[in-house]
Amino acid sequence: MAENLLEVRNLKKYFSTPRGMLHAVDNVTFNIEKGKTIGVVGESGCGKSTLGKTLMRLHQPTSGEVMFKGTDIANLDLKEFKKKYRSNIQMIFQDPYASLDPRMSVLQLISEPIKVNNKNLSKQEVEKKAKEMMELVGLAKRLEMAYPHELDGGRRQRIGVARALSLNPDFIVCDEPVSALDVSIQAQILNLLQDLQKDRGLTYMFITHDMSVVKHISDDIAVMYLGQMIEKCPAKEIFKNTIHPYSQALLSAIPIPNVHHKQERMILKGELTSPIDPKPCCRFAARCPYATDKCLAEEPVLRELKPGHSVACHFAEKFVK
Amino acid sequence: MSENILSIKDLVIHYETQEEVVEAVNKINLDLNKGEILGLVGETGAGKTTTALGIMGLLPPKVGHVIQGNIFLEGEDLLKKSQREMRSIRGKKISMIFQDPMTALNPVKTVGDQIAEVIRLHERCSKAEALKKAQDMLAMVGIVPERYKEYPHQFSGGMKQRIVIAIALACEPELLIADEPTTALDVTIQAQILDMMRKLQKDKGTSMILITHDLGVVAEMCDHCAVMYGGEIVEYGTVEQIFDNPKHPYTKALYRSIPSLDQDVERLHVIPGMVSDPSNLPTYCTFYDRCEECNEECGKHDPWIVDIEPGHWAKCFRYTPEWSGTPVADPADTKGEGK
Repeated sequence: MAENLLEVRNLKKYFSTPRGMLHAVDNVTFNIEKGKTIGVVGESGCGKSTLGKTLMRLHQPTSGEVMFKGTDIANLDLKEFKKKYRSNIQMIFQDPYASLDPRMSVLQLISEPIKVNNKNLSKQEVEKKAKEMMELVGLAKRLEMAYPHELDGGRRQRIGVARALSLNPDFIVCDEPVSALDVSIQAQILNLLQDLQKDRGLTYMFITHDMSVVKHISDDIAVMYLGQMIEKCPAKEIFKNTIHPYSQALLSAIPIPNVHHKQERMILKGELTSPIDPKPCCRFAARCPYATDKCLAEEPVLRELKPGHSVACHFAEKFVK
Repeated sequence: MSENILSIKDLVIHYETQEEVVEAVNKINLDLNKGEILGLVGETGAGKTTTALGIMGLLPPKVGHVIQGNIFLEGEDLLKKSQREMRSIRGKKISMIFQDPMTALNPVKTVGDQIAEVIRLHERCSKAEALKKAQDMLAMVGIVPERYKEYPHQFSGGMKQRIVIAIALACEPELLIADEPTTALDVTIQAQILDMMRKLQKDKGTSMILITHDLGVVAEMCDHCAVMYGGEIVEYGTVEQIFDNPKHPYTKALYRSIPSLDQDVERLHVIPGMVSDPSNLPTYCTFYDRCEECNEECGKHDPWIVDIEPGHWAKCFRYTPEWSGTPVADPADTKGEGK
């Protein structure tokens, strides 16, 4: 049995707003195996990025536990977390146009995290390490002194990858790393991430709204809806045997680049309901074509239907093929 | 039998600044039949949006120039129209939907007023009549008409895009140009919008140009497809031809670089190199530096259009009879043979 690198238990992150508590991440429980990739999918506003940032302690969790190598990092003192664990858990951000300081050169950008986290290294050592990182992610030596605006999106995202990797992390949260990139560049970055995972045994949490990307890169897929995880299963399974009605709708909404593929499309009515002080019912009930009174009265919990495949739906059995 | 609504001939558009000339669109030829949807696919910088702005007469003033070519809308050359005439054509005959609905709407006007504005500009009617029609338009795109008094910030992203579409369709244009209409939206909302656009197109017979980088959207929506690269159309055909039988090396590479939902691929195909710099385009094939199927002749001449099957062509030497290892003839020679 493979060991879990990260065990998330009942993690909650609420934001207080003038209209009430916003349940951005609500009672999420899952494990990530070492060396594997978990893909987190869902529409905008479903709490995917908040989940990633809460794991990184960029947001402070409201309650719950995150066990990382036997320590509960969610309830650790923030200072201690930064000292001991920040370099173990890193993040790659969505927009390589916005996440890099325009006044720093490539070498400076990559040196920065190394310098901050290894105060005892000499300037030469930091530079040497940064140059190694550049080579690792495939940035040419001549770009050392280039500034972000001189580079295309793919190269900028390589800087983001290099910055995250420079601290030898075990776990990387990739928050929509390829969404802002063109398809041909997207392929380069996805390949790079996969190669690095193979070589260094990295564990990824890959946040995206692009189902074809997530299927390509993930071992497990978790579908989120309004702060809750509603389905989790192996990546291959979700495309063959989708159970939750929302996952079914999400999958059927993807346009397939094949002219002979005629699919029955399940078009959802309406949009996401408000995540502020949600009522204790199934959060998808308002848009679900199969909703019954039970769905409006009772909140379904995530339960394991078959080994490795969990669903939060009262009538999940009905949808098993 | 199908009639041409739009016909673009040898269109060249440059952006000229003090430092450089960016050759954004280079000699494109394009025809759109009435009632059809044409997909314009390509990566950032391929010239898709510039082509659309050229048709609309909305190129950035002073910088964007149409160097040569014609754009015929129902036989009339749009490039010969004055600004004033163009203003009466825009919104009435051709409409455009922009990519980002969040910035396309005026935040300080109610959505009803914004729709009525277009109607009042192009049709003689009273304010009340225009507002009534605005409400009908809202109903048509699936928004409760009573909400016409609300402001854009009160609507979600998908609904704002519906409002933008309502504005674009208010005067029942013959041609609708949609520039990445669903890129900023979630897939489930995208499905709603595409479904609605298809319905409108069927009911009203509007012709459409759909600009997108999502090949899936093209496969679902379009009749014809033009693939753009480096300011040129490198391949054109019906969607069936382009998807089942892609010919241009760029189109083929593009397919292999997207992760597929039905097939398992270990590694994605990567197109080597980068998109060529439009301010410094080569005199030979623009894709030569990244092409995996070229021979040295490709690095000497600019390829011309080669017919592959009826209605399907690619701008690539590979499909000339002269190919197969032997050097390709000079384009000047074959052109003389009357094409």
